[in-house]
Order: sequence, then C-alpha cells, then structure tokens
Amino acid sequence: MISDVSFAGGAMTPFNRRKDGSSFRDWARRATRDALTDAGLQASDIDSLIVASESDFFTLQLNPAALLADECGLTGVAAKRVEGGGASGHLAVHAAVADVASGMARRVLVLGVEPSASHLRGADVGALYSLSFDAWTDGMTGVDSTSLYALSAQAFMARTGATVDDFAAVAVRNRAHARANANAHLQLDITAQDVAASPVVASPYRRLDCSPLSDGAAAIILARTADLPARSGRARFRAAASATDTVRLGERHDPGFFAGKQRAAQLAYAMAGVTAADIGVAEVYDSYSGAQLQALQALGLANSRALAAERDGYFAADGMVPVNLSGGLLGQGAPVGATGVAQILAAALQLEGRYFGRQAQNQPRFALVDTHGGIATSNAVSILEAP
Amino acid sequence: MKHHLGLDYTIPVGDLAPYFEALQAGNALASACGKCGHVAFPARAQCGACGATDLRWKPLTGRAQILFRTDAASSSYALVKFDGADSSSTVGLCNPEQKTSSGRLAVPIGDAAGLWLTLTDNKGEEDER
Ligand SMILES: [Zn+2]
Repeated sequence: MISDVSFAGGAMTPFNRRKDGSSFRDWARRATRDALTDAGLQASDIDSLIVASESDFFTLQLNPAALLADECGLTGVAAKRVEGGGASGHLAVHAAVADVASGMARRVLVLGVEPSASHLRGADVGALYSLSFDAWTDGMTGVDSTSLYALSAQAFMARTGATVDDFAAVAVRNRAHARANANAHLQLDITAQDVAASPVVASPYRRLDCSPLSDGAAAIILARTADLPARSGRARFRAAASATDTVRLGERHDPGFFAGKQRAAQLAYAMAGVTAADIGVAEVYDSYSGAQLQALQALGLANSRALAAERDGYFAADGMVPVNLSGGLLGQGAPVGATGVAQILAAALQLEGRYFGRQAQNQPRFALVDTHGGIATSNAVSILEAP
Repeated sequence: MKHHLGLDYTIPVGDLAPYFEALQAGNALASACGKCGHVAFPARAQCGACGATDLRWKPLTGRAQILFRTDAASSSYALVKFDGADSSSTVGLCNPEQKTSSGRLAVPIGDAAGLWLTLTDNKGEEDER
C-alpha cells in the first residue's frame, strides 16, 4: 500500500487543435504555472520534474525534460521523461509516486504535453502511431490504430454480444459529459443516429466512435502531506500499478479481452486494499467507444458484468459508478503525454469536490484511473482516496 | 516555422533473418518452440508461450483463414490463422474486394515488412490480382 503520497494540486490547458499560433512550450509553461498556483507552491519548491511525451517526432525535441525544466522556470531540478505510448502520462505519474514514496524527491511536478494535432498532418501522425504496435509485423504494413482496435472490438463483440449501439451510447455520453468541461476538445451535442451516420473509419468504428488528435498540456504535483502547505482535503494515492500484454493481438488468448489491463487492475486493488466494488468514480481510457466497454470489463467494475451494467446506466453520470465525467478521450481529447496526467487530475479534483467539469454526485471515496498504450498493451491503473 | 525531416532507415533483423528472407519470397516460415512446441507466425526469437530460446524453423503452407476483418475506405486488415500456426496474425489484405474467408500469404510490396494476404475463393484458388 502507498502510505503518504498526496495530490498537492494541478492544472491543465484546454485540449483542442490549436489554431492560435501558441506552442507546446507555451502550454507547458501555463500548465506548470497554474499547477504551482493551485498547490500554493513556488517553482523553487519543486525538486523533480517528470515529463510525459509520447514521441520526439511530434515535438521534434529530443531530451524534452531538460528543455521544459528550463522553459518552465525549474532549472536545477532533477528532470527526466517517461514514455509508454498512450499510457505515457499515467506512467509518469507512477514514477512521481515512486519518487515521493521512496523519499528520492520531496515535491514532484509531472508535466504531460503533446502537440498531437498542430505539428504534423493527420496522415503523418497516423503513420507514426502505426509504429506503436510491433513495427516489424504490424506497423510497416501501414496498419492504423483504428483498424487494430476494430479487430479487437470485433472479437469483444463476438464473445460478449456487444453491438455498435452499445458503442454509440458511449460515444454520445462521453461527449455529453464534455459539454460541462470548458477544457474539452469535443463538446458535442450528438445522438446515436449521428454516430451511425458518421463515416466508417475501420468497421465497426465510425468517425464519432474515435477520439480526436489534440494539442495540450496538464501538470500535477505530488508530495508527502508534511511537505505541503496546510489546506483541507487532499486526495491521496492508494495504488499505482501497471502491467503489459503481448504486443501482437494475434498472440493473445482472446484478442478482444484486455488481459494486461485486468492484471494491472487486480494489482492495484490488492495494493490499495480495496475491491472493484469500492470504486465510486472512474476515468477510463476510451480511445475508442468500444474500448471503453472492453476496459470496464477488464477492470472488473460492476461485478465484472460491464456490458449489462452499461445498458442499465450503471456508468452514467447519475449511475453507481460515473465513468469519464471529464468526457474522456472521446470528449476531453487526447494530447498523448498529457492524457493520463489530465485523467489523474480529474479524479483527484472529483474526490476533493472541486472538479471544474461535471462533479460526481455520489460522494465517491475511491476513484480509479485507467490508461493504456497500444491495444491495452502497456496498462497503468491508479486508485486515489478522498480526503 | 517550418521544418522538413526525411529519414531513411536500414534495420537489421538479427535472429529473425530467415523469417524475413522467406517472407520476401512469399513463403511463411514459422518458429516452433523446442520446449513447449508452440508454433508462432509471425516467427519469434524467443517463445512467447514459455520463454524458451531453442526455436526451430518450421515452413507453413502460407494458407490462412480469416478470424476477423475490418474495412476502411482505402485499406482492409484482418486477424487470420495461418494453417499450422498456434498464434494468429494481423495482415493487410491485397484484394479486399474479394469477400471470402481464406487466403494465401503474398510477397510484400517493395522491401516492406509486415504480412499481406491475397484472398482466394473458398476452394483455395487465387483470383486474378
Ligand atoms: Zn515454448
């Protein structure tokens, strides 16, 4: 169990496709400044910076942690970058938890940033994302993320009976949640009919089943409570667990089941000393609508009856376990390195009762955050506890 | 500011060289584990099932059955099971207009890596490309 790692504060920029000429360095500075303000700390209070950014090909900046330490007024701190595909941001948070828990650092700032939308053409980003899978067997055929997720989703549908209507319900609901979130990329008022009428990207997935490429940054600060200014009600980390699955879908016993995510979740529940039934709110990695249902199943929520629970409204904003009140990747957006950091930020603020978007009404004691890279190949799960 | 980055990679394939050489000739060469017998295609340098490293090369027929298939506007991919393999494989489809459920390994275009499948009619005969 993690004994004393507290959420000191955090902030994010809007996630969207920047058209204002601002740079990823600007977003990083703003997120860092606002996180320090939220935590009541000065730059000089930070002794470790952990940057999350998926690819040098997006930023066109190698060694970005040293650069961003310099850019953000943190010169002198220990600085490193953590990368794990789509899970980069969340894995960076885990590195910060380890730093604080071990005493290697007192106050750690995790900064996730990615110019996923504005630097390159969408086709070039897609070509780079292809290399997130086994480049020698999958990536160099030009296979895109959506096609691989689609194959996994079809296996999930064949086994569970999930339908495209179930997927559309997720696509609609996460966008509805995003409408309360001023930082969200896609604040869409859409219906299941709109999803069904959007163009096919890779069957069964249509445009509105897919998360967008976004620009943006998010930052959070972690520390022991004794090393932070006095304030009431801090969320605390209870578990930070990760696990991998085979890189190739074809080597999985069931290519529609996220076994690596299940393993990470089970490790996290054990570390926190809780069960899935204790979770009251969740931010779940919904790179695609169907992937949210696959994730909920693997996480063991709703007594491992995720599909039936989804149809019963269990994961709705007014349900037993509201999922992705931020809008998720589908609604809030996905600047890769920033994604997991923003998920943790949303969960911590929900537990502290000061979330800037749609606040959970069920006064959750525990929040679960789930992020992955590849097709649930690198999986990160955290459990946070309310003050 | 604008910047163009053009990169040409030459990537040695090491212990998997026989697999890639066979692939360039349109032949399916799997790895068979000397300990647990697991047959992997694409081939592996270390068994994914048990971790053993004493692998042997095992030629497959190159015929495959489609498990799941996804179609986009300009490309189609499938998860397929090659005859004789224990694992399944992600392949690009060379002739997606064909809607049958079986196919044969194709020679990759150029020096590209990855697996490509030409769909055949269900008697195993190839359509004209
Ligand atoms: Zn073996």
